[in-house]
Amino acid sequence: MSSSESPARTEAVRQAAPLSRLTRRRFLRYGLIGSAALAAAAAGSFAILRRSPVDAIPVAEGIRNLGAGEYHLFRRAIEVLLPTAGTALTPVEEVPVLANIDHMMGLLPAHVRQELGTGLALFDNAAVVSGFHGRRFVDLDDQAAVDYFDAWSRGHSIQRALNTVIKQFVYTAYWREPETWPPVEFDGPVSDDWGLDYLGNAPLPREDQA
Amino acid sequence: MNPEKKTIREIPRGLPVVRAQDIDRSRLELSADVVVVGSGAGGAVAAYELARKGLDVLVLEAGPYVPSREMTEDFSEALETLYEDHGSQANRDGDILVLQGRCVGGSTLVNGCVSFRTPDFILREWREYFDLKEMTPENLAPYFERVERNLSISENGEHEIARHSQVIRDGARKLGWSVKPFQRNVKECALTGHCLSGCKTERKQSMLVTYLPWAAAHGARIHSDTRVTRVLEEQGRTTGVEAQVVGRDGVKVADMVVHAGRVVLAAGAVQTPVLLQKSGLGNSSGQVGRNFACHPSMYVGARYPEPIHAWRGALLGNYVDEFLHPDDGGFMLESGGLGVAEMCLITEPGTGEPYMRYMEDIRYYTGLVTLIHDQNVGEIRWKGDHKEIEYRLAERDFPAMMNALKAAVRLHLASGATEVFLPTTEHLVVRSAEEIDPVVARLENRPQHLRLVSYHPQGTCRMGSDPANSVVGPDGQCHDVRGLYITDASVIPTSTLVNPQTTIYALATWIADRMVTETA
Repeated sequence: MSSSESPARTEAVRQAAPLSRLTRRRFLRYGLIGSAALAAAAAGSFAILRRSPVDAIPVAEGIRNLGAGEYHLFRRAIEVLLPTAGTALTPVEEVPVLANIDHMMGLLPAHVRQELGTGLALFDNAAVVSGFHGRRFVDLDDQAAVDYFDAWSRGHSIQRALNTVIKQFVYTAYWREPETWPPVEFDGPVSDDWGLDYLGNAPLPREDQA
Repeated sequence: MNPEKKTIREIPRGLPVVRAQDIDRSRLELSADVVVVGSGAGGAVAAYELARKGLDVLVLEAGPYVPSREMTEDFSEALETLYEDHGSQANRDGDILVLQGRCVGGSTLVNGCVSFRTPDFILREWREYFDLKEMTPENLAPYFERVERNLSISENGEHEIARHSQVIRDGARKLGWSVKPFQRNVKECALTGHCLSGCKTERKQSMLVTYLPWAAAHGARIHSDTRVTRVLEEQGRTTGVEAQVVGRDGVKVADMVVHAGRVVLAAGAVQTPVLLQKSGLGNSSGQVGRNFACHPSMYVGARYPEPIHAWRGALLGNYVDEFLHPDDGGFMLESGGLGVAEMCLITEPGTGEPYMRYMEDIRYYTGLVTLIHDQNVGEIRWKGDHKEIEYRLAERDFPAMMNALKAAVRLHLASGATEVFLPTTEHLVVRSAEEIDPVVARLENRPQHLRLVSYHPQGTCRMGSDPANSVVGPDGQCHDVRGLYITDASVIPTSTLVNPQTTIYALATWIADRMVTETA
């Protein structure tokens, strides 16, 4: 971290103080929605304090449900969570992972969507202070980003929740695409390929036929 | 009620359903002897049993009608099309996914076909704690026999024990544990492994191919895309329901009023109490929505030396009932497969490269499902614009959960697994029997520590003789509102431990019998 960033980081820590004082039990009692105001206030401050070069990158066409911050978070999360280079798996660049995440976001109930938006902002911005990274998640290098996920997987309940939900969105968005299946020998739909007959409805019980 | 007047028209294929796109008016006013809310296990059985006795039955299903031929055998797509909240329904803490079908046929369309009678020790609880004197194994036997016969429930043949279940069976035998093949409601199982996405070729004997077409053969009318918003009542007696017809695009097509002297609620253990709460009915006991249980399940995955291909063959093969009775542990282990869309989520192998290695080798993995007899500690609440599922694993249940987990790990190791991943949010692995206790001891009963799924929500409008502590009586009729019945998993007084579909079928038949008797 450069010395010029120190005052900003100090300010970020100050802004985050309400979050750090929020005990696990209170987090759980109020849930994500309950902590929304605090988190949003803190995250909003972080965003101002810690602008990222990725903020200038436009959101891809066709994205309808992800906000810009969420879009960049997931774009970075996909790179970190699905390093397909050097594996036998389908290259992540060939799979519409972000588009699928955007689609799945659009299916969430409104109150869940609102909670998740708050949580995603928290995940991105909390990296400024959590683990003393001094920058947002979207700007962490690969190893720091992996460490960040792993630390949150062992953290308090809200951190575990966000670690899990981000991974689940990314993993599901990748593995739902049929082109990812052949490398792992997953057969996918089989009934039509196997030429299976449709059995139709079961006949009426004998009591009706008498 | 006059069965002689009606012509029975057997329906060999498909189902006559009025969908949102078939509605050309903004307001519908219908009448029936009985309106059934929900078309899953409780609703479909009640609809048929009442229709065949000559009653004019109308079934209203909130979800879509998806004919078998439109099923895709793609779990991700199925979640969005066939499941409640597009597969995202969860408890308030967000650490238990509560999976329920939301389509014509309900959860019976997307379950694993596993069929158990209610264990005798569970029925004893119902008799002792809720004064349900008639709920004896002997009295219920004819009802179980009836649904088992109607749904072709039979024991898995050897060809239905897939590789994933063979290895587990071998391990159980090494340990000297009781292991048995499942009974399932399936005919000529094609071993596709796609049960959870709907059985495309109509082998699973779900409500879609059994009780619903049978009900329709007896004249029952079925509407999909129709969400009931209120149960109507006058002077202590139900008079029908109000509903909205909503297309798949979420746009309301029509309002509906149904005039009916009897209403059967069978929308499931989450939606039925919500409907009562919205209607302001049935809650003089304060028990509507309370006593929610859900069989929180873990899928304990493990790596084997040889490829398993957990998605190949019948989805569910055997179960270990060594610890079924509460005196023996009060849990059950079920060997079952999964597809890639599920396997990619069940465990935490690490972030980035470790996850890639895990998925590259996913054909070497399979898993065990744990089930416990959980306490009825949860609650369903309508919050004005959304429902809320409040459920946390009870402290009293945590030891059983951990014992189930330890047994699953032990069984995997005995079956030849080289490493077992604990179903937690952090990376925890067991590679030898000596590691089981210390690693499992690291787990705490705290939100977001375990990865849990519920396939069996139940108990939110429980049955009992005392109106002070139950919502419906032994005949399934609401204590507070005459003519209002509940036939779904809501009425189950204490959690069944075993997969509950057969219990629901039998109770729905039982209640329909009593409705017919009262009508006569």
